[in-house]
Amino acid sequence: MMEIMNILPVLTVLIGALVLMFLSMYDRFSIKNHIIVSTLFLLLALGFSIYPAGESFTLLPYSEYLYDLLIFDTYANFFNMALITGTLLVILIGEHYAQERSFIKGEFYSILMFSLFGMMLLANANELITAYIALEIASFAVYILVGFNTDNEKRIEAIFKYLVLGAFIGAFYLLGVVLIFGATSTTHLGELATFIASHENSELTLVYIGITLILFTFIFKIAAFPFQSWVLDVYRGAPILVTAFMASVFKVAIFSFFLRAFLQTFPSMQDFWDPILTILILFTLTLGTWLALTQKIVKRMLAASSIVHTGYLLLAFIAVGENIQSAYSILFYLISYLLTAIGAFGLVSHIIAQTRVRVTYDDFKGLAQERPFLAAMMTIFLFSLAGIPSTIGFIAKLYVFTEAISAGYIYLAIYAILATCVSIYYYFKLIAMMYFYPKNKQFEEEAFDDSRISTYAIALVAILIVWGGIGSAVLFFIPIPSIDGIFDLVKVSVESLFLK
Amino acid sequence: MGTDILSFIIFLPAFVAFILMISTTKVEDVRNIAFITTIIILVLVLKIYLNYESNSDMQFVTNVPWILNYGINYYIGVDGFSLTILMMIAILIPTSYLLLWDGRTKGYWINMLLVQTGVTGALLSLDVILFYFFWEVMLLPVFLMIGNFGSGNKIFTTIKVTVYTMFGSLMMFVAIIYLGVAYFEEFGVWSFQYSDLTQITTFSYQEKFWLFLAFLTAFAIKIPLFPFHTWIMETYKNAPTGAVFLLSSIMAKLGIYAVVRFMIPLFPDIYIQFSSWFVFIGLFGLIYFGIAALMQDDIKRMFAYSSASHLSFIAAGIFSLNEYGIGGALYLVIAHAIATGALFLLIGVLYDQTGLKTIKDLGGIAKQAPIFTLIFAIMLFANVGLPGTNGFVAELLIIFGVYEFNHIMGYISAVTVLVAASFMLWMFQRAILQKKEGPALKMRDLKVKEIIGLAPWVILVFLMGVYPEPFMDKFEPSITHYLTDILHIGATK
Repeated sequence: MMEIMNILPVLTVLIGALVLMFLSMYDRFSIKNHIIVSTLFLLLALGFSIYPAGESFTLLPYSEYLYDLLIFDTYANFFNMALITGTLLVILIGEHYAQERSFIKGEFYSILMFSLFGMMLLANANELITAYIALEIASFAVYILVGFNTDNEKRIEAIFKYLVLGAFIGAFYLLGVVLIFGATSTTHLGELATFIASHENSELTLVYIGITLILFTFIFKIAAFPFQSWVLDVYRGAPILVTAFMASVFKVAIFSFFLRAFLQTFPSMQDFWDPILTILILFTLTLGTWLALTQKIVKRMLAASSIVHTGYLLLAFIAVGENIQSAYSILFYLISYLLTAIGAFGLVSHIIAQTRVRVTYDDFKGLAQERPFLAAMMTIFLFSLAGIPSTIGFIAKLYVFTEAISAGYIYLAIYAILATCVSIYYYFKLIAMMYFYPKNKQFEEEAFDDSRISTYAIALVAILIVWGGIGSAVLFFIPIPSIDGIFDLVKVSVESLFLK
Repeated sequence: MGTDILSFIIFLPAFVAFILMISTTKVEDVRNIAFITTIIILVLVLKIYLNYESNSDMQFVTNVPWILNYGINYYIGVDGFSLTILMMIAILIPTSYLLLWDGRTKGYWINMLLVQTGVTGALLSLDVILFYFFWEVMLLPVFLMIGNFGSGNKIFTTIKVTVYTMFGSLMMFVAIIYLGVAYFEEFGVWSFQYSDLTQITTFSYQEKFWLFLAFLTAFAIKIPLFPFHTWIMETYKNAPTGAVFLLSSIMAKLGIYAVVRFMIPLFPDIYIQFSSWFVFIGLFGLIYFGIAALMQDDIKRMFAYSSASHLSFIAAGIFSLNEYGIGGALYLVIAHAIATGALFLLIGVLYDQTGLKTIKDLGGIAKQAPIFTLIFAIMLFANVGLPGTNGFVAELLIIFGVYEFNHIMGYISAVTVLVAASFMLWMFQRAILQKKEGPALKMRDLKVKEIIGLAPWVILVFLMGVYPEPFMDKFEPSITHYLTDILHIGATK
């Protein structure tokens, strides 16, 4: 394989972002065309990244230019595929919303692509400072996207909160890196791993402090306790497409780097953060559940419930120290959550594209009679979020809980199961609203245009979710990856971290 | 097809349901096709029933990998226990269609089909994850049915029943995973087949006890056992007839079945040790729910309590550790399913006609609808266990079983069965026979279709009551197998 093949996906996305930026200068170039162009670039990038999929490799191409700052392995490749697919789905599902809203201009897609570029770099980062730069590229793009909604007076609060807090927590990260550099005189992940392995614990005090600070950044970005408070306000103020993007794609990107760092470099320090993470998980689950229960707006409920899902992910994350298999379950859960969250948020965006009111639980009343297809799709997404069997969400939960219990975290697992039990309440409440209430009078006159790309993309996501849950077992003769196939891919990806 | 006949039985209804969902909108077509589907299944099950050899082995087994990485298999099979219940489900569902025939919507029939897939799947699966899969899935159509077609405060009821039962299932889910992990740690490979999980030897007493409780939570909520019964009153009162029928005469029985299938083999020593507690709880439930039933004025609520009362009695039989008790319990599962199912459906007819469901408003039905009254009476007698009906055989066996387990409890159970008889007959007298003051109620008699639907049940009531041997023969070997090979206490016969 030529070296250029490895960096092509990242390059394609970068070029796509630049091209879109120039195109957006022309007013006559419509949103529809922007969508087409960005979709083409993303498909191209996806094609480049699928090309080496499944092979086990780890490479440091163009060492003389890149100084080993970026690593290209199966793991990064896996995340690149997930990130590109996620962005692609956000764009396609959001097609309806984007064309109905005047505030979405051509730059939107350019910035989205820049953000994706940052995230892909983050997945490939092999060094702490590079990771920071990549993270900031992604974050800054998202800051702008959050403030895109000029119709919404809440956007100022959202963007300001996110920007200030994000910058603040970025300082923590840098301080952590400085401390680690001071102790070890390197920021390279591989060299750090050797340093930690060859030194006694008593010599590593600064490294421990540094890692704790880095852990703060991680926890802030994935919105776990105690840094979860920004989520609801930011998610509310942002355009719903951006919310979908942040809740799904961005979260995957964050996990890509930090999981790599913690698996590859700091595994021996498991005992140190075990108690911290235990408490964080307990509070994340509790607070997320509490917030989700008290929301009246569906978008906020989904946002709050994403905190609970972060709790499940952390549950598998804490188990990584005990058995490496739980890293597989994290990756699988991320895929499952990526699909489901994009589906759920995207569907809400599709519904509110033409009206401005369908945001609360009450507004969903009678959706099943008006638009039975969308109601059925939403039901599939909610089932998957709640982990009901026959969806991919169930399989993902099964993996996470199996690995957590296997690693000995039985009480945490029981606590997470209780959170799941409560989550059934707020997810099923929405299903009850859609199916069991007569429709609202005020919406009767509206005509809906449901044969468009958004709808097909939503259907595609729903099919993927059911496919992952049961379809691959029933229709085993169709030769595309089944859940076992995905799991094998995940396995190869994580194992590529330890290739020498 | 050959050996895979069981998979066909499981998935045919769901397959038909999906086809119907996207193809047609005419309610009559949907109903007719659904009905034909259930008849096909009945024929297939009958074929299995006749081909089944009376021994304790699993038969018609299919075992193929589903999720390789965790050793989760699609593993189904049938033995004496599940066969008897399978036969019961296959007979009950099509005939219930005949009583629900008119005035339903498309969604109603599709949900009925989906439930059938769920319950037969749960009944036949021998891999615990697969079992959990179907166990959860079978709840969803009922959720939709109650929410869509229920009455009263239906949304609250729907959410309540869902969260309640999901809570139990999720506790079981943790226990299942715990078992799987323990198996992996002991043997180095993943497996969730129940026959493999019974091999685990590393558990401490404490662990087994908690796992036992976790499984029990799931099943006790579904059955329901005291004190996990608080969901059923609201649910049975507000749910549509079809859903009540499914919950009471089929899903509750699956709870009982699951206790026998999974809890006895997995935790035999805990089971033996705590059996006296559960016999006590069962008898307590029998009395408690019986007295509660006496107080009810809403006829559906009354039957909800009476159903719970009988199911507690069944549980007492299951935990009595001898062949009489377990055999009788299984027999009562069938008898009770037929009787309660019929009664709930008849009450559905009564409610559709008169619009009334409180006992004090009703009356004078006997004069208006003699055939209705006759069948109602037969089912009522079967329910209270009058000699000559199947209920009598079953209750007698359970009383024997409990007596053998503990003499005093035996006496108590014999006396308290009378409570059940009293509230049933009192209700019958007030609601059906007694002359009503004021204008007579509008009530048509049963249609021919409905009589045809109920005829097999009536025949079964008497056939099983007078000549129980052929039915017993099918599950007798399985019970002996459970008692001698798994519990090591020897059959008492």
